[in-house]
Amino acid sequence: MIPDELFDLVSYRIHPEAHIIVDQKVCEGCSHRACTYSCPARCYVYSEERGKVDFAYEACLECGTCLLVCDRGALDWHYPVGGYGVRFRLT
Amino acid sequence: MATQFDAIVVGAGPAGTSAALGLAQAGAKVLLLERGEHAGSKNMFGGMMAYCPAPEELIPDFWAKAPWERAVTKRTLSVAGAGSTTSLTFQAASDSDRPAAGAGSTSDKSLTAFTLFRPRFDRWYAEQAEAAGVTLLTSCRAEALVLRGGAVRGVRVAGPDDIIEAPLVVACDGTLSLLARDAGLHKGFKAEQVALGVRALYEMTEETVDERFGLIGREGATQEFLGCSEGVRGGGFIYTQTDAVSVGLVFHLDSLKERRLPPYELLDRFVASAPVAPLLKGARMVEYSAHLLPEAGIPMVPKLSMAGLLLAGDAAGFCYTNGLTQEGMNLAMASGVIAAKVGAEALAAGDFSAGRLAKYKAELKDSFVLRDLATWGKAIDFMHHDRLFTLYPQVISALMEDMYRSDGTPKERIFRLARRAVSGRSVGVRRILADLIEAGRGYA
Repeated sequence: MIPDELFDLVSYRIHPEAHIIVDQKVCEGCSHRACTYSCPARCYVYSEERGKVDFAYEACLECGTCLLVCDRGALDWHYPVGGYGVRFRLT
Repeated sequence: MATQFDAIVVGAGPAGTSAALGLAQAGAKVLLLERGEHAGSKNMFGGMMAYCPAPEELIPDFWAKAPWERAVTKRTLSVAGAGSTTSLTFQAASDSDRPAAGAGSTSDKSLTAFTLFRPRFDRWYAEQAEAAGVTLLTSCRAEALVLRGGAVRGVRVAGPDDIIEAPLVVACDGTLSLLARDAGLHKGFKAEQVALGVRALYEMTEETVDERFGLIGREGATQEFLGCSEGVRGGGFIYTQTDAVSVGLVFHLDSLKERRLPPYELLDRFVASAPVAPLLKGARMVEYSAHLLPEAGIPMVPKLSMAGLLLAGDAAGFCYTNGLTQEGMNLAMASGVIAAKVGAEALAAGDFSAGRLAKYKAELKDSFVLRDLATWGKAIDFMHHDRLFTLYPQVISALMEDMYRSDGTPKERIFRLARRAVSGRSVGVRRILADLIEAGRGYA
């Protein structure tokens, strides 16, 4: 499936710091966890074990879907620092 | 930065570069900021834009020079049901020597659309702006607008002290329109106002593309689908590039969220579906991308200007589909050209007041940008009915299957077939009539 091959399909220059910060306290009690199935890069994965949403920013396509499907305002959302993040070759 | 700029344009996409180039041609010192390492490296779209005369005002013979892939002369609209797909194809008449494609290979270029790659196209366009004197600063993220005395006076680019001042800022920072949101021109867009597009690029030889889609020379074809998104409001597309094919899906984000279906799983199944799979046979996926696009028409358009600030392109909500056409890049370019015109007049007058810059909206209202958004307002709303994406494609499929079915039993007239296609589904004749009337109001 596409998210498993993302780093082969898409070129990134990954910044050492995340450009999106998830406030896990705000996430607690979210009924839909829409970020886990709406994100086109599967950056958000719900961990049954830990009972929380794990977020990895590295494969982010910078589309903004998570910002708009989250109705609790759990995200401090920014684009990556200039020159970092996804770099489309042709698309 | 020591240089004094007359204007800062944020975002080197089609809107921003149009605005920057137009302002520079009017004699302004322009700084064009781009957060990608080159213009276009952050940009994606479905793959096709309609011919647009706006950039020809800035670059003569624009479409003969710009790096597009194929000139689309053949467009197919398909409705997919469970067991069959029904299509309608439009094909523009071409010149006799079609392979000698200049600016589009049809004899009527206003009937042409272009497939193109944004990392190439946007980069080339920004280079033309640089050649006209625009200062392009890449790998530079605009953090916020600098507001003083109720007017925008510049852009903060990195740390709190890294401020670039200019009396005019044109924000073309894309769909999320974060700069305008922070300046209070809108409250942030909602899931129901945007669509998510996901797209995969498949590599194949130019000859294979020509053969599979029946194309000659630089001609291109597109195919758009309704009913292929498993109940999510949205559609699918196939666009031919020179030696690649773009395949993707666009979903209303609220509907995708509600249906709880991952977009890449829907894309996987679309790519494997009966009408799509043979076109991609043996081809390798070489890139995947995703993007949000404004989709709610006029109701989502922010306040378009304030003292010292103009909004253009996606950041202004200038993008829509009425189900038949998808417009965005052309609206972006046209709004950028108009922003440059109004901005240059403001510079000449030394007046960047809210009153002076309000002329921008007035000019947009006279242009196709806001007129088309208004014209298709009801159609854009109509595209938000779930029935259009599941129920009706299934009805059309059932009707067409009955029409073509030959099983030794007597044929029935179309009205009876239609009644049978509808029967057993959760829709009544009244509902269908009401939808037809609404469609009539939206499109007729």
